[in-house]
Amino acid sequence: MIASRNIGFVAAAATLLAAAPLSSIFQQWTWLIQSAIAVAVVAGAAALTRLVRAPLWGQVLGMLAGLLLALTWLFPGGGELIAFLPTPATLAHFGELAQGSLQDMRSYGVKVPDTTPLLFISVLGVGSVAVVVDVLAVGLRRPALAGLPMLAIYSVPVAVYVDSVPALPFVVGAAGYLWLLVTDNVDRVRRFGRRFTGEGRDVDVWESSPLAAAGRRLAVVGVALAVVLPLAVPGMTGGLLDQFNTAGNGTGNGTGRPGQGGGPGRIDLFASLSGQLNQSEVADMVKVTTTEQNPFYLRFGVADELRPDGFRVRPPNGRPVNRELPDPSGRTGPGVEQRTYRATVEINRTLSMPFVPLYTDPVSFDGLNGNWSYDQNLGVVFSNRDNSRSKRYSFEYVRSTFTPAALRRARPLPAEHPIRLQQTRTPEVREVSLLVSRLVEGKSTDYDRVRAIYDYFSRENGFSYSLSTKGGTSGQEIVDFLTNKVGYCQQYAAALAWLVREAGIPARVAFGFTNGSSTNGDTYTLTNRNLHAWTEVYFDQFGWVPFDATPAYGVQGANRSAWAPDSDAPDPEPSDTAAPAAPQDPGATTGPQRDEAADKDTDAGFDPTTGAPVERAPTWPWWTVGALLAVAALLAVPALRRRALRRQRHHLPTPVAAGPAPDDGAGGSIPMTVLGVDAERARADAHAAWDELLDTLVDYRVRIDRTETPRATAERLAREAVGEDAGSATAVRLLGRAEERARYARDPLTGEPLHPALRTVRDSLAARADRRTRFLAAVLPPSVLLRWRTSLGDTSARLVTASGRLRRLLLRWNPRRLLATRRA
Amino acid sequence: MTQQTWDEVGGVLPHDEFRAASEAVVANIEQVIEGKTATVRLALAVLLAEGHLLIEDVPGVGKTKLAKALARSIDCSVRRIQFTPDLLPSDVTGVSVYNQETHDFEFRPGAVFANLVVGDEINRASPKTQSALLECMEERQVTVDGVTYQLQTPFMVIATQNPIEMEGTYPLPEAQRDRFTARIAMGYPGPEAELAMLDGHGAADPLQELRPVSDADTVRRLIATVRNVHVADAVKQYAVDLVTATREAPDLRLGASPRATLQLLRTARAVAALEGRDYVLPDDLQALAVPVLAHRIIPTADAQLARRTTDAIVAELVHRLALPPDRKRPTGYDTPRPAAGNGRPPFEPRRP
Repeated sequence: MIASRNIGFVAAAATLLAAAPLSSIFQQWTWLIQSAIAVAVVAGAAALTRLVRAPLWGQVLGMLAGLLLALTWLFPGGGELIAFLPTPATLAHFGELAQGSLQDMRSYGVKVPDTTPLLFISVLGVGSVAVVVDVLAVGLRRPALAGLPMLAIYSVPVAVYVDSVPALPFVVGAAGYLWLLVTDNVDRVRRFGRRFTGEGRDVDVWESSPLAAAGRRLAVVGVALAVVLPLAVPGMTGGLLDQFNTAGNGTGNGTGRPGQGGGPGRIDLFASLSGQLNQSEVADMVKVTTTEQNPFYLRFGVADELRPDGFRVRPPNGRPVNRELPDPSGRTGPGVEQRTYRATVEINRTLSMPFVPLYTDPVSFDGLNGNWSYDQNLGVVFSNRDNSRSKRYSFEYVRSTFTPAALRRARPLPAEHPIRLQQTRTPEVREVSLLVSRLVEGKSTDYDRVRAIYDYFSRENGFSYSLSTKGGTSGQEIVDFLTNKVGYCQQYAAALAWLVREAGIPARVAFGFTNGSSTNGDTYTLTNRNLHAWTEVYFDQFGWVPFDATPAYGVQGANRSAWAPDSDAPDPEPSDTAAPAAPQDPGATTGPQRDEAADKDTDAGFDPTTGAPVERAPTWPWWTVGALLAVAALLAVPALRRRALRRQRHHLPTPVAAGPAPDDGAGGSIPMTVLGVDAERARADAHAAWDELLDTLVDYRVRIDRTETPRATAERLAREAVGEDAGSATAVRLLGRAEERARYARDPLTGEPLHPALRTVRDSLAARADRRTRFLAAVLPPSVLLRWRTSLGDTSARLVTASGRLRRLLLRWNPRRLLATRRA
Repeated sequence: MTQQTWDEVGGVLPHDEFRAASEAVVANIEQVIEGKTATVRLALAVLLAEGHLLIEDVPGVGKTKLAKALARSIDCSVRRIQFTPDLLPSDVTGVSVYNQETHDFEFRPGAVFANLVVGDEINRASPKTQSALLECMEERQVTVDGVTYQLQTPFMVIATQNPIEMEGTYPLPEAQRDRFTARIAMGYPGPEAELAMLDGHGAADPLQELRPVSDADTVRRLIATVRNVHVADAVKQYAVDLVTATREAPDLRLGASPRATLQLLRTARAVAALEGRDYVLPDDLQALAVPVLAHRIIPTADAQLARRTTDAIVAELVHRLALPPDRKRPTGYDTPRPAAGNGRPPFEPRRP
């Protein structure tokens, strides 16, 4: 009874440990406390029922009742008796909680906050698993099976996180499972009497039992395989899909793999941007049709968390797009013009990420299911489950345009405003601070300050566009950019955002597509080259207002707005930029930009090393063909080896005078020496022929008997294998005679046609073998395989012997052994 | 008669002469013993291997006839001893008697002083008498009253015996059995051979008409030729393996002696020579293992209870023992030979 109580305790603890993966889902640890209470109650109920020697079903009922009580106490609905006795009202409350949990699961992304429904469903799940584990481990004494319900808990984060799941909680859970197994086994062994560990009995202390040694070896082999196998198998690390850079957990380095629909909070959009812009190939990604004339950029992502190492994407948070979307009409005011347009987006199958691109301020969506959520703050549509591949959807959106005058009226945000608090946080970089204070000196409004900084990134100040700079938005890289004044959209957008933040105005970096260069009416086809980043600045009352500081000549389909005109626009052609009052300035740079496109292509094509999803399609057939070829080559090795062996035996001594030595033997001493040489040669020849015969026998699955003499083998073959063919019988007897003479006689048999005999025997063996044997003998000769197997076995035996010797040597210095002898 | 020690044999016979001489002897014996060519050749092989022959079988199958036919085919001195329960050792070896004329003891040679000694029904004499043969069979000498007398070459004891289960027989001591090179069983003749025997033996005893076709000198040269037969290292190794296997076989209480190894190889040489070869094959050893080894070994009580005869045990060993690989040239299908000393023997060592 003590033992089973012990196992019951271990089962409960193992269940809790196995619940560790839930930590990667919840923000807080409340779930752990509540689950621990539930599991403890379940374990207590189990122990009590076992104490009264209840049958198994009684134990199950007891545990379920305990779980119910614990749930009632933890999640009171208000109608309980003395706080923990459930009533029908409680059950109804539980039903509501369960439904609410479904709701919450849809609406929250990881990590979820502590909502009661989610906690309820977690505690219910962990408690049920505790019941099942207890029944399996203690009631049925099958603790190995208890791993299945434990695995069920682990499957929750696996289902939520689509790609990378933190490994540590799983290790904790596995440790709990192993603990359970070990406890049960120790208990089993204990039933036979005292456990024998070998201590102090001069038993080999390193390996107290052969079972343990075997286990250790298996573990080592398993770990080695687990490490080596993914390295050996191509594609298992998703190497082709890595263009959005490597996976990490959460916000560590802020990268992810949208190629497989990774979580939207873990993507380094900067890295993907530079990777895509540097692609040598151009691939269509998005086709968008809009009713708006020359719309501003299509937008899908935002990086608004500034850390010392640069701008990072935060996990978005929002409500499903098929619910009501926030009304953007609050941005209206004098100087603000809002119009509603409708756009249809068609995403190519090569673009796969957890965001979908859209124009700012969508009002309604059509064609996106409840998996997609809209983050009001970031203005992005994301999904934790789905990805954007081959999506087609349409939406209505409100386009707000501003006049500089209106923006100038915007008051500075109060210092305690949450957006200001969060979005102006900048790491301390002295050069940037100096530059900003110099730029904004004397400017009175936020808009003027922003314009001052924005205008600083102009050709006049020596800024130019090049894709060949190294990416990165950390403090030092911003300083480098400000010094070198060469960069592309990534640096321009990040530097502008950084500087604006430094000036105390909230700013962030937005990602999306420019309007591109291939326009067909109101349809824009956007490629990877059109990926772009720009800056958004927050103005009170107006919200986020886009500024694109990147030189327009470097960007295909750049769009400049009235409040952020092209700072590089040449003075002789002021028609576009000189009209700041115009509410919307169409296509400022589409004209000159076309000319630059050719240059940009060559410029952009310099670094094709970064992999991209758009390149995925053409590579896999090569991999397949290569793998097939490799397999074929590998399969051909035994046959080639067999062929080489045969040829080598055939041409073994290259006899100078094949037969004449015995004939010429009549004269003098010179032929005698020739005879000696010839005898050796004939002996080697006979041996080679005999070896070849044996190999042929193995190939054609004719029995080889090691206890048979060559003569007996030849007789047996003549009798059984080669059949009634008299020629083959003679041939095989000849081979046997040659071999026995070569082995046992003073003088070997010379001048006999061994190779023709061999061929005769082989032909007659092949004729009598069935088709499968013949095929195998030709393709995968069993003789070669056998030989390899034998040599492998020999090698491993040698290794084992050597390691055993080494071990014995080391064991001399084993301190535990010295202790053991002293105690004895 | 010149005393010739057993080491001094004549020159080597050429191949065809050897063949003619040996074939003549075999053909001569076959006039008497029909349908038993293999047995006859084996008997001749034992003679050429300078060994002694034990013919064991039930009464009436021609044991004595074979012995006498072999003796008569060779023109040399032949003595016959009929072993009876009251035979004394001195009857076998000889005795010193007092000569009144010379006033001295004079040695009267016993029956063993001959080239061929036919010991009939050897297991009917007491072990005491049988022991008289020990010295002469192995050392080819007789010591009486402190004087050692050398025997002649060839010297061969052909003994016949009934199986020990028969009435009135004493089992041969191990030492005695070990001195016999081979034990052969006559076996019943086939139906045709028995018919022929009825024809041939009906009128007169063919043994009486048997004329010698060879003489002691020829036999000595035959022996010299046999000694010259080539034995490859692998064959020697195989002989050693075979004998070692009998010592390690779990079914056997006593394995074969080193003398057995020696005699096995000698007999194999003779058999090879009789087959016209000048080299010994493992096949020869395989064929000779039962006649040469089976009568020397003692099975365990378990094997005896299981009615496993020593013949069967040896035959099984031969079937299970792998050929030794050529040392210079491993083929890949050979059994790896255990390293000297620490390797596991092919058979579990017998527990005392």
